[in-house]
Amino acid sequence: MATLTEAPPPLTPTAPEKKPPRKRGRLVPYWLLLPGILWLLVFFALPMIYQASTSVQTGSLEAGYKVTWHFATYWDALSEYYPQFLRSVLYAGSATILCLILGYPLAYLIAFRAGRWRNLIMILVIAPFFTSFLIRTLAWKTILADGGPVVGALNTLHVLDVTSWLGMTQGDRVLATPLAVVCGLTYNFLPFMVLPLYTSLERIDPRLHEAAGDLYAKPVTTFRKVTFPLSMPGVVSGTLLTFIPAAGDYVNADLLGSTDTRMVGNVIQTQFLRILDYPTAAALSFILMAAILVMVTVYIRRSGTEDLV
Amino acid sequence: MTTVTNKTDNTGDVRLSGISKTYDNGFTAVHPLDLTVPQGSFFALLGASGCGKTTTLRMIAGLEEPSSGTVHLGEQNVTALPPYKRPVNTVFQSYALFPHLDIFENVAFGLRRRGIKSVKKQVEDMLDLVQLGEQARKKPHQLSGGQQQRVAVARALINHPKVLLLDEPLGALDLKLRRQMQLELKRIQTEVGITFVHVTHDQEEAMTMADTVAVMNAGRVEQLGSPADLYENPRTTFVANFLGTSNFIEAEVDTKNGDDIVLKAGGGKLVLPEARCSAPTATGGKVLVGVRPEKISLTHADDAGDIPEGRNRITGRIADSSFIGVSTQYVVDSPVCPEFEVYAQNIDRDARLVPGTEVVLHWNPAHTFGLDAAQDIDAGIQEEAAV
Repeated sequence: MATLTEAPPPLTPTAPEKKPPRKRGRLVPYWLLLPGILWLLVFFALPMIYQASTSVQTGSLEAGYKVTWHFATYWDALSEYYPQFLRSVLYAGSATILCLILGYPLAYLIAFRAGRWRNLIMILVIAPFFTSFLIRTLAWKTILADGGPVVGALNTLHVLDVTSWLGMTQGDRVLATPLAVVCGLTYNFLPFMVLPLYTSLERIDPRLHEAAGDLYAKPVTTFRKVTFPLSMPGVVSGTLLTFIPAAGDYVNADLLGSTDTRMVGNVIQTQFLRILDYPTAAALSFILMAAILVMVTVYIRRSGTEDLV
Repeated sequence: MTTVTNKTDNTGDVRLSGISKTYDNGFTAVHPLDLTVPQGSFFALLGASGCGKTTTLRMIAGLEEPSSGTVHLGEQNVTALPPYKRPVNTVFQSYALFPHLDIFENVAFGLRRRGIKSVKKQVEDMLDLVQLGEQARKKPHQLSGGQQQRVAVARALINHPKVLLLDEPLGALDLKLRRQMQLELKRIQTEVGITFVHVTHDQEEAMTMADTVAVMNAGRVEQLGSPADLYENPRTTFVANFLGTSNFIEAEVDTKNGDDIVLKAGGGKLVLPEARCSAPTATGGKVLVGVRPEKISLTHADDAGDIPEGRNRITGRIADSSFIGVSTQYVVDSPVCPEFEVYAQNIDRDARLVPGTEVVLHWNPAHTFGLDAAQDIDAGIQEEAAV
């Protein structure tokens, strides 16, 4: 037993070391941030400023471009290429919805039902990233080729009749139609939907499902009232990670589409690299950026994610 | 609907017949088990972690499918019913409150699922019962552990289940709050009169709250009875050690004397009422003689002559003593039992009783119980510290 003759140990043994914090110590976080800030400055801020100035220049390749604050470029670009803008939003939106429909059950399966197969399925989801984006899209060109097994099967099942009637395909072809572009986008961005969905589903305590069942909720109600609301952060980040890059994509429209399926990304690419009309290309980029920013802000506000856990 | 509820109504009985659970990996969590919990009682399933008590509870709730046997609630066989069709509710360990819903909606969840439209009055009354009326619009993570625990109870009770299942509901609370909630739960149970089945590893909690306790060990019920009965008449060393502390002396049956058995232990004799012996008592048979530490008196060896006749007595030397306020706990080294524990009330402390002193331990034979010597003397020890 302890005797009481000993003095009690000091309550805060660290107290004597507590000196007023030194200045250098307080600056450490900022020093640690410096590489990141420099990176952003050089590779994000500077190009943005440069592009912004390009978008208000006039001139020609031969005579050189000068900043003339020619904002009319924006209006001209928008009025000429608005169909491509609308198409981008439509295709990216369709692909996002398809990704959600395909990705949610998959993420749910991995999170709650996969058991020991979980890691294997996760690897399968990520595996396509081991090959180049371009190669994978080219592979789709073969898959959807005219007279190929996929087109044959769709034809036999009269699916193509329906999609033709909807204007998504033409006749017996799938390649070079909007459907092919949307399929390509869906395929390429599916992992960006599945991963955040999986992360937020996996965080849900399985006992909450049991609790809902215990409180008279049928499995469907449990999903509607508990699982889905709790997975909202994943739904929001998944749709954003899919929609934003899909809206700016040009590879899928280029390889799987036709001149009738050109998206805004294709226009920007052509303006920059072929026509060499830099101001129009820069203006289009800024319009796309602004449009996505507005849509995303409205979306996040409406889904009320800041309210969730 | 009849207006008068019959007092002998047994719709809240829980009847488990031959129920067992074996997992796919071959582990048997619960061996075939028969158990009846009468309507309106406060029933505790007590045992160390992994003894099958939670599995048993989950089979009543429908969250675990039994490998064999049936579950009846009153007259209804609910074995095949999914949880959402069973008239039982559960208070989960760590509560499982819905984090995206506020307290009001958490409590209203069960009512809404059953299609009840006007829930406001009921929810408010229930929140008042658990003293959380002010917190209705807060989210669960904004509440303290004790408050969350009360929300979990309210969320279950508002559905007026026939049976309320509590899975270690107080495990996450600190000691003081736990004691307070034990009394609170007991009060609520008395008030609403619903059958409570409470799973716990805390023997004190089970004894304080329950009318009937079933002590479980390795997937079986070791013994079932009222807390006092389990404490005074344990039938296995596991129960004797798990509920409080017991001292055991290995003894041999010598003769019978009326209702008592006389046993030989070391050089002396001990007397044990036959009614309190669960072991076979043929002459020459081995019996574990048990006695609780607080039943024993301690007398200095010099005063041995003052001890009244007819008491069981053994000798020993005090090995250690510790003063803990209400009592002094002695460990006595005796030839018949190496670490004999004695708790003495601090009424007339004998200053001579310090470690190293030769003493005589004596107690009323009526406080002696006998167990089968063929079991592990130490079964059920240490569990208190675990979890």
